[in-house]
Amino acid sequence: MASSTTSTVYIQVIEDVINKVREEFINNGGPGEGVLSELQGLWELKMMQAGAIVGPIDRSAVAKSMAPGATSNTVHDLNVPYEGPEEYETPTADLLFPPTPLQTPMQTPLPVQTPLPGTAPTPLPGTMDNYNIPTGGTPITPSDYPSINENGVSDGKSGRPNTYMQPPSPWLNQRPPLDVNVAYVEGREDADRGGAANQPTTQDFFLLSGKRKRDEFPSQYRPSGGYIPQQDGAADKLEVGEGSNSIVNRIPQLDGPIPDPYDDALSTPNIYNYQGVVSEDYNVANTPAPQELQAATPAMVNQNDILDDDEDEPLNENDDDDDLDDVDQGEELNTQHLVLAQFDKVTRAKSRWRCTLKDGIMHINNKDVLFNKATGEFDF
Amino acid sequence: MATFELYRRSTIGMCLTETLDEMVSNGVLSPELAIQVLVQFDKSMTEALDSQVKSKVTIKGHLHTYRFCDNVWTFIVQDAIFKYDETQENVGQVKIVACDSKLLTQ
Repeated sequence: MASSTTSTVYIQVIEDVINKVREEFINNGGPGEGVLSELQGLWELKMMQAGAIVGPIDRSAVAKSMAPGATSNTVHDLNVPYEGPEEYETPTADLLFPPTPLQTPMQTPLPVQTPLPGTAPTPLPGTMDNYNIPTGGTPITPSDYPSINENGVSDGKSGRPNTYMQPPSPWLNQRPPLDVNVAYVEGREDADRGGAANQPTTQDFFLLSGKRKRDEFPSQYRPSGGYIPQQDGAADKLEVGEGSNSIVNRIPQLDGPIPDPYDDALSTPNIYNYQGVVSEDYNVANTPAPQELQAATPAMVNQNDILDDDEDEPLNENDDDDDLDDVDQGEELNTQHLVLAQFDKVTRAKSRWRCTLKDGIMHINNKDVLFNKATGEFDF
Repeated sequence: MATFELYRRSTIGMCLTETLDEMVSNGVLSPELAIQVLVQFDKSMTEALDSQVKSKVTIKGHLHTYRFCDNVWTFIVQDAIFKYDETQENVGQVKIVACDSKLLTQ
């Protein structure tokens, strides 16, 4: 829904834009008048679908009258359509039809004219990037026009990364398995032999793989209450064997220091909470990181993080959440309630905010409203 | 003439952007030309708002968030009341984005 004036202004803006870029479309090896009319037709169609343009658009008449000399004369262009809003309303049929014929040619000619097959597959965001990057306003010269092909190539390249992107995933997939397998085998032995609760922490650290930790979950939970039957599978391994702790202890110490931070990043902090490692151990472990303490070291880091989360981050998180919420809400509201304008002045007296805006476009309650001046008074 | 890309987020701007996207992705239009069209839209929209629109709007409400960054004011106003042309619109939450008008005159 849009007020008649808004619709009128929109139509005039479309006409003005089309007329002023016509030269670029026709000259200098541009795509030509047909593409321009296609652009206009599709644009207007979308506007009508969005409800931003109401009523019929006598585009042919306006275009013809304006096309010849209106290119440079902005005021004249604007006035012509502006004076004749009444005319728009009468030719309903004509108005409704133009969009559809325009649209259909759009779809068919597209494949024919596509010089850049690579561009089609590229997703819209990519294309947006493509023409956001180049600086606007640079006139297209004949020499520049071939650059389209270059862009097409670049598009193809941009499209290629997609294919490359897939290989990486297998890579990533492969790496973890390798590491996991090594650690995991040892872990199994440890788990099998050393399911004992004597040094669970050392095992965790030594066993870098998350699977190992998962295995320990059941063991830790079981004593408390065996909540999770699903984890029995992993638990079986733990239960199978006991007594390999010594082996585990030997090896982990060597690996311990380096892998620990890595584990910390990968591991979920919750695990360490259940372990309930003493804070003192963490402090000691953090600085010196002795061999035996290594096991505690990673736990320390994790718990420190956890403590930070509990103590410090609640405040920070809340702040972030607020910001994010605001942004998210604001973004969501873009489609619903949004005011785009220029500000002349923004002042504040205590919690009283006043702002004077000009030349704004409002989209409120599904209606587009334009204003020349706006004043805002807000309580913060 | 300096222009704002601000209005590209409006309905008419989004429709144009979508149109250009489709035409560029279909290979009908070169990205360079699409940008020229967008820049021309920035100019035409600004001129039209300045020369053709005369209406005045008053906005009142609770300022939930204010932000001034890169010469752009952003307000999120809750329970906003818009009055214009003897019409009143109530909006639960509205986002106002405003560029510095002085940047255009410079």
